[in-house]
Amino acid sequence: MQLSYERIDIPAAYRFLQTPGAGGVAVFIGTARQWTGERETLSLTYESYEPMALKEMHRLIDAAEHKWPIQRTCLLHKLGEVRLAEASVLVGVATAHRAGAFAACRFLIDQLKVQVPIWKQERLTDGQKVWVEGNHPSKPPNS
Amino acid sequence: MLSFKVQLFSVLKSKLKADSIDLETPEGISVGEFLDLACAQYPTMEPYRRVMRLAVNQTYSEDAYILHDGDEVAIITPVSGG
Repeated sequence: MQLSYERIDIPAAYRFLQTPGAGGVAVFIGTARQWTGERETLSLTYESYEPMALKEMHRLIDAAEHKWPIQRTCLLHKLGEVRLAEASVLVGVATAHRAGAFAACRFLIDQLKVQVPIWKQERLTDGQKVWVEGNHPSKPPNS
Repeated sequence: MLSFKVQLFSVLKSKLKADSIDLETPEGISVGEFLDLACAQYPTMEPYRRVMRLAVNQTYSEDAYILHDGDEVAIITPVSGG
């Protein structure tokens, strides 16, 4: 689990997820997209309330490990500038069977996008910098 | 009275051109009342009142939670990581 201003090291994440007890590894990589409808993005910049983001990421991993028999979990998010097509987030889960790997990976990325205090700003071709606003307010734990 | 340094991020930081604001509150104030007071003193934040959450000591808090002296507080608008 990590927040970093460095490029996400995808091979290193996969090496970490490899374990003889796992029969499946699901990895989701979120990348910077150029087009959103007719709006063209040049790059993204992410900022975070870092100590809280790390706590929330930890809480999500705990919740996933409580729900599925996970062997290894990897949750990485890049901060600062992310260029087009570059990875901004990596979620990886290793489990004995594929169903749990897919389900846990989906849970972690979906929850990260509504709970972890990280925000994205788009730099557009017209020179504007626009904060992307999430769709849902985050929820207190156990609510 | 209690004094808080309220951390801001993202759109609120840009709109207020500051990464924190200072807020003085009466003792025994709840999170909901705290956010109402913040928006009254900084009206630029008012359009976000319905969707903002207060993180207290790096945890999302319920509106009824009563703040204490020394609590670390941050206003969180809907997040957009990933």
